[in-house]
Order: sequence, then structure tokens, then C-alpha cells
Amino acid sequence: MPHRLELTSISKRFPGVLANDDISFAVQPGEIHALLGENGAGKSTLVKMIYGIMQPDGGEIRWNGRPTVIASPKAARKLGIGMVFQHFSLFEALTVLENIALGMDGKIPARELETRIRDVMGIYGLLLDPHRTVATLSVGERQRIEIVRALLLDPKLLIMDEPTSVLTPQEVGQLFDVLRKLAAQGCSILYISHKLHEIRELCDTATILRGGKLVDTCDPRQETSRSMAEKMIGAGLKDIVRVPNRTLGQPKFVVSGLSTIKTGHFEVPADNIGFTVRTGEIFGIAGVAGNGQNALLDALSGEIRSSDKHAITIDGHPLGLLDTTGRRKHGLCAVPEERNGHAAVGEFTLSDNSVLTARDRLGMVVLGLINGGAAKTYTGKVIAEFAVKALGPGSTAGSLSGGNLQKYIMGREILQKPGVLVVSQPTWGVDAGAAAAIHQALVDLAAAGSAIVVISQDLDELLALCDTLAVINMGRLSPARPVGEVSVEEIGLLMGGVHGAAEAHDAVPA
Amino acid sequence: MRFRLEKRPEPSRLMVYATPVAAVLLTMIVGAVIFSLIGYDGIGAVREIFLTPLTNAYKWQDLGVKAAPLIIIGVGLSIAYRANVWNIGAEGQYIIGGLAGTGVALATHGMTGAWILPLMVLAGVAGGMVYAAVPAFLKVRLNVNEILTSLMLTYASVQLIYYLIRAPWKDPMGMGFPQTRMFSEAARLPTIMPGTIVHLGVPIAIVVALIAWFIMSRSVFGYQMKVVGAAPHAARYGGFSENRTIWLAMLVSGALAGLAGVLEVAGPFQRMVPGFPTNYGFTAIIVAFLGRLNPLGVIFAGLVMAITFVGGEVAQTTIGLPNAATGIFQAMVLFFLLAGDILVRYRVRRVAGNRAVGAA
Repeated sequence: MPHRLELTSISKRFPGVLANDDISFAVQPGEIHALLGENGAGKSTLVKMIYGIMQPDGGEIRWNGRPTVIASPKAARKLGIGMVFQHFSLFEALTVLENIALGMDGKIPARELETRIRDVMGIYGLLLDPHRTVATLSVGERQRIEIVRALLLDPKLLIMDEPTSVLTPQEVGQLFDVLRKLAAQGCSILYISHKLHEIRELCDTATILRGGKLVDTCDPRQETSRSMAEKMIGAGLKDIVRVPNRTLGQPKFVVSGLSTIKTGHFEVPADNIGFTVRTGEIFGIAGVAGNGQNALLDALSGEIRSSDKHAITIDGHPLGLLDTTGRRKHGLCAVPEERNGHAAVGEFTLSDNSVLTARDRLGMVVLGLINGGAAKTYTGKVIAEFAVKALGPGSTAGSLSGGNLQKYIMGREILQKPGVLVVSQPTWGVDAGAAAAIHQALVDLAAAGSAIVVISQDLDELLALCDTLAVINMGRLSPARPVGEVSVEEIGLLMGGVHGAAEAHDAVPA
Repeated sequence: MRFRLEKRPEPSRLMVYATPVAAVLLTMIVGAVIFSLIGYDGIGAVREIFLTPLTNAYKWQDLGVKAAPLIIIGVGLSIAYRANVWNIGAEGQYIIGGLAGTGVALATHGMTGAWILPLMVLAGVAGGMVYAAVPAFLKVRLNVNEILTSLMLTYASVQLIYYLIRAPWKDPMGMGFPQTRMFSEAARLPTIMPGTIVHLGVPIAIVVALIAWFIMSRSVFGYQMKVVGAAPHAARYGGFSENRTIWLAMLVSGALAGLAGVLEVAGPFQRMVPGFPTNYGFTAIIVAFLGRLNPLGVIFAGLVMAITFVGGEVAQTTIGLPNAATGIFQAMVLFFLLAGDILVRYRVRRVAGNRAVGAA
């Protein structure tokens, strides 16, 4: 039997970079094949060429043994290649059925389409009501729409781009069941991810890319997560170094009864949130995207002010009424999830971006005038200590890659030595080496006596980093639990909205 | 052979300065073609409008006098536009500034004293601020679009001139002409060069631009304007209130438009007349953009626009070009500038079509 898909010496050059350099591998019918690599390793470029969004500069693509030019995504779909993107393209105000109808290449009568959708869902056990409005669906359910949309084309190869980054552990399990069923029927799956334990659980083969080159094609079940990670980053992986047997101090950062007002139609507000973080503690808040994390971060940073001054206190000082500047002066720094346009201004230089949050804490302003030299010096220090790849303090933030910008932003806040640091998605889209550096910096900051809150969708990150964990669901926070005493299953249930006990808000972390 | 726009990794510094120059050159070329096509001496028109004011030393003082209000208003607008606050009604704030100054001049008529002019200036600045405060209030409190309100208030201000100079402020000795009496000596802006019409407003314009440049590039105020305009979400994260920024931007641009108005009525006009609104407030919008929203650039842009004003008048008498031609040339400058701005962020690349481009 010929290979389902075979790439031979595929190359793609962009101005200044060789994104794919002589890549060759093959996917068999019914195989679940992982494509593994850090950000910027060339995974997206490669997949875009397979799906017809880009054309390779060199090399050959064979489809079922025949050399093929995939001119467009439409041509790819015609061949039987489907793709589920990391970012969904769905209209929130339309129903599931309407969204799927809009994405079809040919015109199919609504009734016939619905029958076909129900057939596909029946075969693969994808539960979804075609008449529900997308806005009312969870992220996992939204992803199912995209999967159904791809399956309607009866694909022979399904490309999944980072499909689990937004799912609860239970939803991940359901997705894997669907993918295994698909594979059993002969559909090949190209599975892009950086979550190594998932790849070991699901995939038959893994192709690892680094810096645009193919490093290895291996059997993930013969490898450890660590060995694959080291192939991915091309170096030994650093573990987080902790002070042994450390004890947590007094309550430092106390939040109680914190709520926000619903602003947008699809915004989830924070609902009566309370928790306590002690000196030296890293407090994790898990949750599926869109459950009020953004509102909570804005309410903690001061972008949304509370009407109750005691809703937020540091060492007993009430900060609820203050804006971000006022809270920063009291040692409360925050990093929002969105880097460009929120945590940093793309058009501004890094130096000017340092002025954004560090101007008062580090004395960059004298009599209303900005001390550009101080901003530049501080920015240089951030670049050096956090190994930010930038030409210098004068580079614009927008010219940095996502991971480097994140390192800069984290460095900008951490080097201010805040008493309390609240961060959302600290390593979102950051490569493994940089993520390890950011984690270590957070651990060191906590060890130096700060209280840290980490809001993340990445459970592995929270379990590795945090002392205490709570889950946010529909804007409400579960009771906090020490990380060592809580199981992944339990957290998964909380993330899906099953609160085990009713004592949600009066619980105090042990 | 095809062309494709490709995003630059960093905005081009060169293009930031090159496109305003290119816009002016393109305006001259296209203007010459258009006016030739409709039967005028197109090349002559461009020469008279763009070159005569520069080559004829006698016109230089006109340039200074026309450029001063454009620069002062343009500086104010460049600050507001940086913050994405779209004050389109500088003409109205300029008129109210002129009227406020007129009010002081009329109330102090016949008096002498060095305090009269400063008082007029203060009144003019305050008048412009008050008139700009209306759109600011409506925007902050009711989220009413400031473009509409500030523009519409301009028309109201024109009617206010007509009312005041026909009734309460009419010159008692003016034989029924709708205008105020001539200001007393103490209410007139002195000239700085004897024998010319160059008044104190000209150096004031330069000083205003220099101060504004310093504030915009070095101060927290300037940073606030820029960050709110570039990324409102990041500005909030950085601790800058959007509403306060809207207030500041409107008040500063209104104050400077009002300052231009009072300097204009106390300088070239020396009385309030129906012809006081000369569209300086609208032309200053072009000045602000042509000057790249940078107060130093605004000085040069103000001069370019002043050239078209002065040259337009020359062309009217020498080759019979209609008065509206000036407006057409000014609009073309803005059009080409905005169109050319894409080159700041993108570059044009030639891409191979279906055939090889070896021959090209």
C-alpha cells in the first residue's frame, strides 16, 4: 500500500529565515502521526503547505503515491485533507448548523446537511445539538463543530493544530476517543502539539522539528517525555530548582468578595471571588478559557476597580479602589494574557514599553518628564537577564517573536520585585526553554518573599509550579487545595463545572 | 509580472519622512495634468501655486502670516490625533477664540495698557477650550462621536459671528456694515518687523511648536497621548484613564485653536468681520497629518499649506485659476499622503506570475 502522504525534501524560505529545510517524512493510512516542535520550529509552515495555503519552494508532496501540487485549501479538501485550526472560525451569533453550512464548499440543502451532520456525530460519538447558538457552547463543543465540519468531507487525512490547548482533561479524553475511531477506519491524522504526554498516549509516530529541520522520527511510546523534549529544544532540559522544605509565610495577598460587571455579550464576569496567597506561595488558578479569567485579571490589576476597598488587600492595606498605577505603587504588578496591545504596545520601543508599567516603581519620572536613560538602562537589564532576543532597548515590541516578547514582559514585571505578581498564561506560546526560564524566575521571586498568582489553562504548568490550586468556572472560584493533595481528575471535573462541595467561598487554604 | 504588498518587519523610518515629500510632488504632477485637461495652463498653475510664493521675496511675509495660525492649530490637532481623539472642529474653536478676544477688545475699547492683549489671549484660549469641552463632555459621558459634534459646532460658531456683528457688536460708525469697530491700539498685535505685516503671532507659532515637541517627546503627558492612541487597552493597563485623555486632548487642541483665533483677529484683522472664518481650522487637519503628527513636522507642513494659500491667490490674478483650486491642491496633498502611508508598514515586492520574470 502506498503512503497516504509522503513529503520529500520540502523546503520553504521566508525573507531572512529558512522555515523548512529539506523535510522528508511519510504518513501511513490510519496512522496517528505527531508533528512536534517548539514555536518557530516550522510546524505551521509545513502544515500550511500540506493544506495548500502556501506552496513549497522545493521538494515534492506525494498523495497516495502520486506527486501532487496542492494549489489551495479547496484543492486540499477535494483530495480528502481536512484541517482543524487552533483558532476557530465560528460566528458566535449563528447556530452550529448555520456555521457548518457557511464553511461548505458546495451548496447543500439545510435538511440534507443536518442529516449528514447527525450521521457523522452518531458514528464518532460527537455530542452536539445542531440548533444551538455557538455563543452558548463551551470551547470543547466549539471544537467539535470544527471537527464535524472537517469530517463531513470524509477526509483521508485530518490535520489537528494544537487541539487540546483549550480543553479540560475529560474533553481531551473524548477527543482522543474520536481520533482513535477515525484512525481505525483508515483516516490518517497529523497531530500537532507540544504536550508530550498526550503524544505518548495517542500517537503511533512522532516527527520532531527544530529550527526548520527534521531532527528525528521516532515511536513516542519508546521515548520518555523528557527525551522528546530534549530533542525538541536540542539541549538538556532544566528542572525547576526549589528551596527544599520551605515553609509558607503569613497571608500577604487577600482577595474577598471580588466581582465585576458583565460588559460584553459573551464576557464572563468575575463572581464573588475570594482567595488568600501567603508570602512565598505560588497560587494557581486553573480553568478553561473564557470562564472569567480576563475579568479576574483586570479586577486584580486595577484595570477594573472595585467599589469595595477591602476586596483586595496586600499586607492589610486595602487596594480595591485604586487604579493600576496606585496598586503598582503598593507592590501589586500584573501581566495580562494578551501580549500585543495589552501587556505591551507593538509600535513602541521596548524602552517605551518599560515606561508603561515601571515608571513609578523605578523612578523613571521626574517632574512629569520621562527619564529616557533610566528606561533604557532598565530595559537593557531585562533583555540581558531574561535572554530576550532583541537588537536592543530601541527595538519595537512588535518586531519580537511571541516568546521573546513574553520573556521581556515577564522580566519587566519580575525585575521590579513586586510584593505580589499576578500573571495570566505566563508561558502561552513560549518555547520549552523559555518557559523553563520563566518558571524558574517565578519560583525565585516567590522564594524571595513575594506572593504570586498564576492564571493558566495549562494544567501541567500549574501542577509543576504551584503550591496551591483553585479552579475558575463561569466566573466562580473553587476552594483552594494544596497541589499535592488534588488529583488531575478532580481538577478536570471542576474545570468542567462540577463543584464537588457547596462550601465554595468560605474555605481557607490549609 | 505582478506586485504584492509585503508587511515590513519594522515600520520604515525612511518612508515616514519620504511619503509627505512624495505626496507634495505627486500633487504637483497630478495637479498640472488635471488643470491642463480642463483647459488651464496646468504647469503654470503649479508654478504659481508652489514656486512663486518661495521665489518672490515679497511674498515671504505673507507666508509667515498664513503659516502661523496653521501651525498653532496644527500642533494642537497633532496632539489630539496622537491620542485618537478626532477633533475636526478646530475651525469652530478658532472662531470662538477670535470672538472671545474680540469681546475683550470691545469691552476695553479706548483704554490703554499692556494688560489688554494678554487678557485677550487668555480669553481666546479659554474660549477655544470651552468650545472643545462640549464634544469632550458628550464623548465621555454619552459616547457621542466627537467627529460629528465638533464639526457641527463649527457651523454654529459661524452663525454666532453673524449674529454678534449684526446686532450687539456692530460698529456704530460702520454705516451698517456687519462688522465690529476697529480695535484700539492696545488691542492690536504689534508687528515684529517694521514695514512688514509680520506680527507677534509668527514667533509665537514657532515657540508653541517647540514647546509642544518637547512635551510630546519627553513628558508623561505626551506618552499618555501616544499610548492611548496606539493601544487603548495597554494604556489602561499602564494606568492611563481613557476619559481623562479625551478631556486633555480636546482641551489642548481647543486651547491652541482658540489661541490662533485671537492672534488672527488681533493681528491681520484687527476687527471681527464676516470673512473671519478662513478654513484655517480645516486646513490645519491636513497640516497635522502632513507634519506626521509631530510638532516639528507641523512647522514645515504649515509652511507648505501656507504656500498653497498664497500661491492660490497669485494664480487667481495671473492665470485666472478659480479660488477653489487651492482647496483642490490641498485635498490632493492629504489624499496622496494617506494613500502613500501604506508604504510605511508595507513594501512593494515584485512577484513572479505564471511566467518567469527573467526578462524584467
